[in-house]
Amino acid sequence: MLLENKYYKVLRARENGEGKAVFHVAILPDCNVYEGHFPGKPVCPGVCNIQTIKECASLLVGKELRIFSIKQCLLTAIATPTVCPEVDVEVEVKEVDGKYSIVATISDEIRLYMTFKGEGV
Amino acid sequence: MTDIKNLIPQRSPIMMVDELLEAHDDVARCCLTIREDNFFLEPDGAIAEPGVIEHIAQSASAFAGYNAMQSGATEPPVGYIGEVKRFRLNRRPCKGETLVTTITMGPTVGGVTIITGDTVSGEENIATTQMKIYVAGE
Repeated sequence: MLLENKYYKVLRARENGEGKAVFHVAILPDCNVYEGHFPGKPVCPGVCNIQTIKECASLLVGKELRIFSIKQCLLTAIATPTVCPEVDVEVEVKEVDGKYSIVATISDEIRLYMTFKGEGV
Repeated sequence: MTDIKNLIPQRSPIMMVDELLEAHDDVARCCLTIREDNFFLEPDGAIAEPGVIEHIAQSASAFAGYNAMQSGATEPPVGYIGEVKRFRLNRRPCKGETLVTTITMGPTVGGVTIITGDTVSGEENIATTQMKIYVAGE
C-alpha cells in the first residue's frame, strides 16, 4: 500500500465488533512529504490521512479498497508529527452489493483530527 | 500565467498543480500532468484517489494565491482543507494524463471559503467535489 510504513506505521490493531477495528498508528516524522508540506513547517496533509483511513479499511476487509465517493470528510484539527506522533484510526466498514461504506475517525486522547464518511469498491 | 511556486506554498514531492491557466472573477482553471515521480502514483500506473483531492485543493490554493498577489501579497497564503463534501471520482487518472480543474469560488465567511472543483482529462469528467478551505491566521 502507498503510505503504509512510509507516512504511517500500524503499531497495533484490534477488532472492535463486526466490521469495526481500531488501528493505533505512528505518524512517521521522516516521511518525505514534509519536505514540501510545508518547507520547515511539517503539517500532515489531510489527503494523506484520508489515504491512511482507506488503507486501514483495506486491512480490515482484506482487500485493497478504492474510494469512489466521499459524502463528507471533516478536518477538525491540524495534525503534525509533533502534535500527534501516534493516533487511533477507528474504521467501520459495511459491504452492500459489492460496495463498501466506510465510516472512520482519526483521533488521539486530546483531539479529533478527522471524521470520514465515504464509499469504496 | 505566473510561476506556480509564487501561488502555492506546497513544494516537491507534493506539488499537485503545474500551472494556473486562467483566473477571472470567481472562476479559475489549473492543470497538472501526472508524472513518474508523482507522490500518489501507484504501481499500476494510476494515482491514489486522495491525489485527485489534493490536486483540486491546490488548484483552489493557486487561485487564492493569485488573488492575494493581485492584492499585493509577496508570499502565497497557506490554506488548509476544512471539509471535503460530495466528492465523486469516476476513475483514477494515469501517468501521462493531463488533468484540468475548474475551481469556482464561493463566498468567504470567517476566513472559510466554499469552493467547487470539477476535474477533466480531455473531455472526460474525472472528479467533482465541494470543499471548505480556510487560510491560517485569518
